[in-house]
Amino acid sequence: MNIKTSCRLLMAGLLPLFFFSLAHAADIKIGVAEALTGPASQYGIPIRNGFELAADEINAQGGIHGVPIQLVVEDERGKKEEAINVYKKLAFRDKVLMIFGPTLSNSMFAAGPIANAAHFVAFGTSNTATGITDMGPYTFRSSPMESDVVPVTLKSAISHLHIRTAGIIYGNDDAFTKSGYDVFRKSLEDQHMVIAGTETYSRGDVDFKPQLTKLMALHPDAIICPCLSEEGANIMLQARSLGMKQPFIGGNGFNSPQLIQNAGKAAEGTIVGSPWFSDNPSPENQHFISAYRKKYGTPPNQFSAQSYDALYIVADALNHIALSGNLNSDRQSLRDALPKTTHIGATGKFAFRPAHGQDKKPAGYDADQLPFVYVIKNGQFVLMK
Amino acid sequence: MWEQQLVNAISLGSVYALFALGFTLVFGVLGVINLSHGGIFMWGAYTSLALVTWFSMPLWIAFPAGMLCAGCLGLLIDILILKPLRNRQANHLMPMIATIGATILMTSLAQGVFGADNQRYPANLFPDLEFQWGETRLTLLQISITVLSLLLTAVMVWMLKRTRMGLALRAIAESRQTSALLGIPVERLFHMTSFMAAALGGAAGILIGLSFNAISPFMGQSMLHKGIAAVILGGLGDVRGAVLGGFFLGASEVFAVTFLSSDYRDAFSFGLLFLMLLWRPQGLFGTGKLREG
Amino acid sequence: MDWVSWWNAYSDIILGIGINGLLALSIYLTLSCGLLTLANAAFMGIGAYAGALVSMQTSWPFSVALFVATSLPATAAILIGIPLLRLTGVYLAMATLGFGEVVRIILLNMDITGGALGLNGIPPLTQWWHVLGTLILTVLLVVALKKSKMGRAFEAIREDETAARLMGIHTDRIKLFAFVLGAAIAGLAGGLSAHYTFTLSPGNFGFEAAVDILTMAVLGGIGGVPGPLMGAAILTILPELLRGLQDYRMAANGLILVMVVLFLPGGLWQPGRFRKRMSC
Repeated sequence: MNIKTSCRLLMAGLLPLFFFSLAHAADIKIGVAEALTGPASQYGIPIRNGFELAADEINAQGGIHGVPIQLVVEDERGKKEEAINVYKKLAFRDKVLMIFGPTLSNSMFAAGPIANAAHFVAFGTSNTATGITDMGPYTFRSSPMESDVVPVTLKSAISHLHIRTAGIIYGNDDAFTKSGYDVFRKSLEDQHMVIAGTETYSRGDVDFKPQLTKLMALHPDAIICPCLSEEGANIMLQARSLGMKQPFIGGNGFNSPQLIQNAGKAAEGTIVGSPWFSDNPSPENQHFISAYRKKYGTPPNQFSAQSYDALYIVADALNHIALSGNLNSDRQSLRDALPKTTHIGATGKFAFRPAHGQDKKPAGYDADQLPFVYVIKNGQFVLMK
Repeated sequence: MWEQQLVNAISLGSVYALFALGFTLVFGVLGVINLSHGGIFMWGAYTSLALVTWFSMPLWIAFPAGMLCAGCLGLLIDILILKPLRNRQANHLMPMIATIGATILMTSLAQGVFGADNQRYPANLFPDLEFQWGETRLTLLQISITVLSLLLTAVMVWMLKRTRMGLALRAIAESRQTSALLGIPVERLFHMTSFMAAALGGAAGILIGLSFNAISPFMGQSMLHKGIAAVILGGLGDVRGAVLGGFFLGASEVFAVTFLSSDYRDAFSFGLLFLMLLWRPQGLFGTGKLREG
Repeated sequence: MDWVSWWNAYSDIILGIGINGLLALSIYLTLSCGLLTLANAAFMGIGAYAGALVSMQTSWPFSVALFVATSLPATAAILIGIPLLRLTGVYLAMATLGFGEVVRIILLNMDITGGALGLNGIPPLTQWWHVLGTLILTVLLVVALKKSKMGRAFEAIREDETAARLMGIHTDRIKLFAFVLGAAIAGLAGGLSAHYTFTLSPGNFGFEAAVDILTMAVLGGIGGVPGPLMGAAILTILPELLRGLQDYRMAANGLILVMVVLFLPGGLWQPGRFRKRMSC
């Protein structure tokens, strides 16, 4: 192969990229940038499933004023650079109306500024870190911040179990668990709890016994574990095999049927606060769970419930505006319609709340949702009253 | 607490040792760093998991079958990747780079087939027996893992020292050309070594899966780093050194958590690796040659 | 599609090619001495964090931030290079891998670096011409180096270090020079990239990143300066082209790496081969 043909081949490979945006003009295009490969895909895939389920349902009922919603799904691999690439691709090449995602808070910090600079909505459904919506007025999220959920969880744990000291174990190389830890620590201090000891692990660790043995020797009343359900289940199993009897208190990541499935008896007594309650008997939630099971064959988790609701929230907003066909003004009118939108979905009642923002700069909107606090009893999530 | 931490250190160390054993064997005989050992380790865990969950095989069949599959995978990598490089007498960096590529491929395939979530063996696959002295607890699983990895190590050392094959392997480690001249079937023994090393790696994967309940496509990478640290500590290419290095690494990690802070658990092991290379590149115990057995 | 939206859509890929080109050149320097070091991602990380912190915590100009981003990793390279470069082959690779992990964990545990959350809101000061200018200057520097006495010394060391030493080449000093210059370039690349991605986290500079940098140089080939640049360009564009493969996208990356080592041992850029083919 000589240079000339190599160049031609390269051009042939690149050309489709440049002209991709010409196809599909009629549908309402909504970008979905989630981690579909890599370690973060365990959250990204359920999130995408939630969106697709909601899109199917909305389109089956005639879409938005008769126009179907078309999801443009891209993989951001849970990496910040990829999130930036994908955001730019969706916004400037595919010319989507708005973008859902990215999956991880860290990636949102990287991609969010693009949305605010180019004036389209960046809508996170799984980002719980503080400061996400401070980035600018085009950042929205439907996931309640950990700092809203954790104090409620802790308060009911303290009043029910009369705990006074706590040991903490968390992943210190992950933005999600690290920010969960920061929130827990502040909330523990606010409620005058004694932190007996703090231990950390890193992503990919499977052996938590040295850390747990150290915590066990300090005899705390409870173990705070702002972890994801996968590590959480292993931490519980290993803690029980060491003979620890303390109840676990967790954050957003614990709210998944998988926790009980994986940890079994070790999860008994665990206290969790979360915006979604899998056994919530409301018709919206029951419909969501059965539809999800039917489409994907697996039970949904919190992340899919939140993305499912998020698309309905956007659809509600779209139903209240008339799209002009001019991309920039349509993006702006969606942005202006969203804050007023309220919705009752799988996660319950939902409304937006303006973020405070730093230095009085204009900021986006956070979720205004009350968390559920529940305890695991006999392998079931039971609401704590 | 100290007794418990000692138990933790030994059970962690024995898995590191088993992993490091296969890794060091390939280096000792073939003279290459096989960075796909982590990928093989992961596939060993997945194949026996698949046998247990999809075909409901009992563990005592699934375990050797998983080792066998891992061994075949190692053999495949040897034939497809390492052999052409040997024949070409490629620079020693080439096998490292090619096996990194193979690892990326294996990880991606595992993710495609099994998904990115952690998978686990069904509960109660292994008898849930527990022994207790005071505060210290020891499970049957922990004992079995330690015994099994010591046993496999003993078999390897015995094989290298006492059998004709071991003698041939040590001869190859000393000089490949001379061994070939002496009529030793070098190429066949390379395949054999790759197979055995990979089977050991697979066994480590299955044991990790059993004891820590977390099989994921990404489990190989952190294990590979730990394995490298263990092997360097014990001396690259040294079989006994790898095992001692594994236990030493397990102990130093556990005691880093106990005495220092868990924040620096990994930094401690990599710092140890780094300092060891500066101080004694041949490792704590090794002379850098397989002839020590 | 008009120019502005074209630039908006592709600027990151184009700047990414430039940054990755610098990184590939940084490892090319040590590879052309026959040294496999896996510390370039760590040096990039040190540079990126140092540069970003200068911009965020002080009111000094961008040039100072870039200067710090270049000189701090170079200093670190001198400090660890002196003892480390006595090692050869796989031992050097392992030691630099260990160093990289230690740097990543230290970045993770320091307060000033923001821990796992990393740094967010770094001022976006990097313009396209910063990257282009740096790349051109670096290429000129490396080409000039290759043609100089130093470049011939690199080659002599790569072919046979003992022979080179016997010929009177100060092999230790030359290897250290290549290592430190590589660290400086990687640090500069880190400083530039930190100021256009707005955010940094320690995970960006771990083992995977080190492997990515190595892959670019190996894919392109280390037969000449165009090699690493080609490798960087291809591996930056490839993930965009392979989007359709979804789950198996990384598999293609791994397969390419294996195939290149097996069938194109010198990498894609082999001046001799091209010349021969072009003439007939």
